[in-house]
Amino acid sequence: MTTTNILLCGLGGQGILFMTKLFAQAAMDKGLSVMGAETHGMAQRGGSVVSHLRLGEVKGSLIRAGTADFLLALEENEAYRNLPFLKRGGSMYVNANPGNFPRENVRAYLEDHGIMYHCFSATQTAVEMGAPKSVNLALLGYFTGFNGGAVRYKELERTIDNISPEKLRVSNLDIFNAGFKVAYNC
Amino acid sequence: MRQEILLGNGAIALGLVEFGCQVVTSYPGTPSSEILPEVVRFVKSEKLNTYTEWSTNEKVAFDTAFAAAITGKRAACCMKQVGLNVAADSLMSAAYLGNIGGLVIISCDDPGPHSSQTEQDTRFMARLAKVPVLDPSSPQEAREMVGMAFDISEEFEIPVILRPAIRVSHARQSITFGEIRSNNKAASFTKNPSRWAATPRFRLKLHGELNKKLLDIGRRFNTLSDFNFHNLEPGKKYPLGIIAAGIPSAVIRDFLSEEERNDIPFLKIGTPYPFPDDLAEEFTSACEKVLVIEETDTLIEYLLRDKKKVLGRLSGHIPSEGELVPQVIHKLISQVLGQMSLKPLNPEDDNEITDLVGGLQLPVRRPTLCPGCPHRPSFFAIKKARPKAIFTSDIGCYTLGVNLGGVDTVLDMGAAITMAAGFYHSFDQDEVQQPIVATIGDSTFFHSGTAGLLNAVYNGARFILVILDNMTTAMTGMQPTPGLGIRADGSKGNAISLERIVEGCGVNFIEIVDSYDIDKMIRLLKRATDYVNDPEGGIAVIISRHPCVIAYKDEGVPVKKKVIVTDDCVECNICLEQFECPALYHDDELGRVNINREICVDCGECIQVCPKGAIVEVHEG
Repeated sequence: MTTTNILLCGLGGQGILFMTKLFAQAAMDKGLSVMGAETHGMAQRGGSVVSHLRLGEVKGSLIRAGTADFLLALEENEAYRNLPFLKRGGSMYVNANPGNFPRENVRAYLEDHGIMYHCFSATQTAVEMGAPKSVNLALLGYFTGFNGGAVRYKELERTIDNISPEKLRVSNLDIFNAGFKVAYNC
Repeated sequence: MRQEILLGNGAIALGLVEFGCQVVTSYPGTPSSEILPEVVRFVKSEKLNTYTEWSTNEKVAFDTAFAAAITGKRAACCMKQVGLNVAADSLMSAAYLGNIGGLVIISCDDPGPHSSQTEQDTRFMARLAKVPVLDPSSPQEAREMVGMAFDISEEFEIPVILRPAIRVSHARQSITFGEIRSNNKAASFTKNPSRWAATPRFRLKLHGELNKKLLDIGRRFNTLSDFNFHNLEPGKKYPLGIIAAGIPSAVIRDFLSEEERNDIPFLKIGTPYPFPDDLAEEFTSACEKVLVIEETDTLIEYLLRDKKKVLGRLSGHIPSEGELVPQVIHKLISQVLGQMSLKPLNPEDDNEITDLVGGLQLPVRRPTLCPGCPHRPSFFAIKKARPKAIFTSDIGCYTLGVNLGGVDTVLDMGAAITMAAGFYHSFDQDEVQQPIVATIGDSTFFHSGTAGLLNAVYNGARFILVILDNMTTAMTGMQPTPGLGIRADGSKGNAISLERIVEGCGVNFIEIVDSYDIDKMIRLLKRATDYVNDPEGGIAVIISRHPCVIAYKDEGVPVKKKVIVTDDCVECNICLEQFECPALYHDDELGRVNINREICVDCGECIQVCPKGAIVEVHEG
């Protein structure tokens, strides 16, 4: 019985819940059991938003600190804030300027704990493509470029195609693919 | 087979339609708000005849569902835990009267608390009212419990509470659908005043009947079932067992199975009241000690008979406040195992990462009003016009006006008005003219504003009341209000006019302003102040109206004004501190304030705020 724990984080308004929904739907479509927990209500209003996603046969909806396989962060400080969730040997994907990330003392910790870290400016990609509010899709595409397992590029692309609102469907796919290419080419 | 990933609230909604609920009412409140919209979604997709409504408050929702239930129909009302306080009067009485068709009350708890005033435990409300309560540990179990709740409610003619905690309501789980059909049971009402209009003499008899029902239900709960179970091996004795319920029970089952700890037996209680005494007795007698882990309070601990064996909140082993998240539970169990010289759970990582993250001095992201939110200019104007006032406020997005210094008190739904009156009389008694500005949202005003307002008018209080009308119930996810006249299923109802209600409460100063017009708002507040202080005056009401920019993507920002910050910015930070739009930030490289295009909605409100005129509109092309 293997469980994959994925933690998605960022700030209210960045589209964490839509990103979670895409992930969860793609996982279910490939036959995995999905369990997760998300933030609604007051905490959503511009504050830190965290979404837990667990794929596999589990009872609880929350990820225990130190057991997340993947951490996807739409904002740099939120990535740091949620680092305690990552397990040894986990991977993180962060929307941040590669020149500044990670901070020196954090880098030492990550390397010491065998944590793979990847970052790119999803914000810049989204802004350049004229959809500054689609940072979530750029990062999701970037994640799939590393073929990290759990849910793959083609599976997520199909889900985006299926569940995006019609007027955003093409733009969502383009931005997702742009993120994918950044990772794939590096 | 149809499969969907549903929120816990969606799974509950699915349970409601699957088990033939014919009437569903609700007042929105986190974490319960998605239940009714999900019912509406299923009603539409499956063409069911279920009646749904957003009620004006939880008591109204309860009474409507109760009436449906005594016509023999299955009915449910959904609310958050503090909403059940509003409906408590109805609940206590309905427990005595009982029902004919099943009546299920869904009251969602918020350990944390994430989005509530209290961490109160609905299971205690059930105990107080003497009605059964079910405590689900997952969306799927919550859905199944809806069926059991209706069955018990109908068989014993008693309301039943389903208590999902936030991690059930806002969990997501893949759920396989069953068959859904309309329940066409017809309404019928048999007059029986000694029951449905019982006077105190009959109430005593009804109380006796209620007690008898609880004994019978308790016997039913006392057998092993899908909701109450343990894994004791016959005849075996254990040094420590764990009794758990709700979300913690799911978390603990994951730990014990991941770490293959068959040496620790486990009793899961899904029906904490009436308490399954015999099951608990069977379990505790096989263990030297039992650790009780439940959310949010100590119901099971109180109800366990043999307290000498019990470790839990009362013995100081479990914290008495805050959410029991997995890492906390893991640590607590390990500590108890360690104290008893038993093998602890797998060791946690050291505190290195927590210390490291703590040392990074990350900015604290407090919740804040959205970019473009019409409440922000309202609060800015109120602070400008009446800087020395006491600001009473209320429950909703605008509670976040606290960040802008525009909110001094928040008690409960409607207290902006009632407390404003209380402040007025307290200062007036001392002959002190204390300025008071109350703020309340449109939905909260419809919920419980009128009783307070007409009381304040009747008793001669003086204050300014600003009704922040953003034409939606924003905080809980954009449910329609009576002011719009749009009903839960999207159909047209009858719109209720705020200004006519206010007039009907006896207020003679009523002005309406667009929240985006800061100058006009300031002028109105000055006039309102004169009216409040005039010997012939009274309470002044200003309705500050502008559609929520999240609910109304187009109308919210009717004229897009793309702004930039020029080098005239002197870094006075007035826009950052007194306006606090998340799209404004201090750009250290440029040495001035800058705009975050990722989140700016081009409302242009900040133009009015900069004293140096450094925020300007730019015209592209």
